[in-house]
Amino acid sequence: MHQSRLLSVIAAVALAATTAASAQEAEPGWAKGRPKTDTAMKMAPVPAFPIPTPVNELPTRKLKLPPGFKVETWASGVLDARELRQGAKGNIFVSTLFVGNKVYALPEKAVDGKREPKVIIDKTEQAAGIEFYKGSLYFATHKRIVRYDNVEDKLDNLGEPTKVLKDDLPGGSDHSWKYLRVHNDKLYFNIGAPCNICDPGDYAKIYSMKLDGSGVETVASGVRNTVGFDFDPKSGDLWFTNNGRDWLSEELPNDTLNHVTQPGKQHFGYPYCHQGNLPDPEFGWGKSCDDYAKPAALLGPHAGSLGLKFYTGKMFPAKYQGAMFIAIHGPWNRTKKYNGVYVAWPDGKGGAKVEPFMTGFIENNNYLGRPVDFLVMKDGSLLVSDDHAGAIYRISYAGK
Amino acid sequence: MAWRRNAVVAALVSLVLAAASPAHAQVKKPAARAGAASAAAAAPAVDYGEQFRTVCAACHGPNGRSDMPGVPVLAGQPSLYVITQLFLFREGRRHNDAMIALAKPMKDADLRGFSDYIGTLPPVPAPTPAAPPDAARMSKGQALAQQHKCLFCHGSDLAGGQQVPRIGGQKEDYVRATLQGFKSGERPGYTRAMTEALSQVPVEDLDVLAYFAANIRAP
Repeated sequence: MHQSRLLSVIAAVALAATTAASAQEAEPGWAKGRPKTDTAMKMAPVPAFPIPTPVNELPTRKLKLPPGFKVETWASGVLDARELRQGAKGNIFVSTLFVGNKVYALPEKAVDGKREPKVIIDKTEQAAGIEFYKGSLYFATHKRIVRYDNVEDKLDNLGEPTKVLKDDLPGGSDHSWKYLRVHNDKLYFNIGAPCNICDPGDYAKIYSMKLDGSGVETVASGVRNTVGFDFDPKSGDLWFTNNGRDWLSEELPNDTLNHVTQPGKQHFGYPYCHQGNLPDPEFGWGKSCDDYAKPAALLGPHAGSLGLKFYTGKMFPAKYQGAMFIAIHGPWNRTKKYNGVYVAWPDGKGGAKVEPFMTGFIENNNYLGRPVDFLVMKDGSLLVSDDHAGAIYRISYAGK
Repeated sequence: MAWRRNAVVAALVSLVLAAASPAHAQVKKPAARAGAASAAAAAPAVDYGEQFRTVCAACHGPNGRSDMPGVPVLAGQPSLYVITQLFLFREGRRHNDAMIALAKPMKDADLRGFSDYIGTLPPVPAPTPAAPPDAARMSKGQALAQQHKCLFCHGSDLAGGQQVPRIGGQKEDYVRATLQGFKSGERPGYTRAMTEALSQVPVEDLDVLAYFAANIRAP
């Protein structure tokens, strides 16, 4: 789509959304569709706790993994740790979302047994989207996408961005935070639906653009909110997690894992059809789920499926080569909590097989930790961020 | 009055700094979080009830309710709400010079200790006013609170819970200033819930809502 048209469409959509909101009297976007029961009334998105869990109280020892795997605390005291990326010189970049307003850099190797997070970007709302590519840090808030060149040489004083790539993102507070990946010299980003359930216009899409910010194209439509995607190193295809709508019921709909086979041409159903087979009670009339791309797998009701990363290391056993890890943050829109790190294998027929991989983050229906994103280290171990506990774990394999 | 309060606050700030420093003196080493945690465990536990009486009570009252204008009632506030606010003060995001000065030197353990203690303070009702609240204003406030969905999160008696503050019985001037702050964007919340909730509420309704919240009686 032509950029100027995209702009005007987004502006029109924003205007329409505002008008719709006024009609609904003060109801925030996430509350749309909420039933009027006491139980539902008490549910709202759960922000990360404002202080990281002390290292000796982290749930690390309670986490359960397949035989031969081991998990340890890699870093603690990283308030609101969200997306993970690594620089060419080894620095680990960590973004935040609602609480931190920061991006950190952590050293690859511990100093005196500890990795001290260095704040490199501060006081910035929704500092969520990060990607590292050819010496540069790409950084996206809900409002703009910028690039810092030679970032690893100026961690002590990043200064102003080298280039502003896009400053016309729609902002807002519903599903407006970003997830970034660079693939084949294009930067991929998401614009989530500005509500729980509504006609999203040019929101609810995955876009790509050239690294200078030009040439914005639609990659996938009907995507309510993706907070994790990656490219299959074998096929080059894009896979993404998608957060399903809220409030329909305790058990429905599922979050989904999806596979883009025809970039720019597929519609994944939102707001008309959920999880490939469930027409929306409001927007689904007169629509058929058969007209939309089916998910590759279901990830659980209100799962909060976030980071997705193909395993590209050599340390894990052969069955994990080519598999993708998925962070299930855990539901807020469900009375019974669950979460963990899942693993999924493409089945070669468009679908995928999904299994829990690391669990144990929940005690008495309360979260002790909530996984967000991954990083495959050079030695093949896997880092997992946890925004609830403000920690990063390292999973390694030592089995035979 | 303002100068006196500033002086009191200045004195308190120096007090809290002094009070807090012994507990954290041994944590100064660049070393580690693990070291800090074990040092804290080995050091005598800080009595945050005592800290509260030393540091907070002069303005907020020993039981969490004072008669100082504009100073919010802490009695009956959920600890999760309190820790989010102390965090916002420490980060300098919520603007109040006195509270920022107090919160700035606090460690995570202090935020947790103060908020856990404040969370144990039972609610203290407002003193009975000379005249009963204006019935017409109260019923208008009730209707507005319903219409603008205040009761959704704060509860039918506005008692709050978890990250949602108790605003029933809160001081009227404080509630009014808070609503105006959210409305103008001057006051940030821990989440965007209040900014969003107020985005469609007309400014002229804020006074009545504050009056209603301050004067609501527990059923």
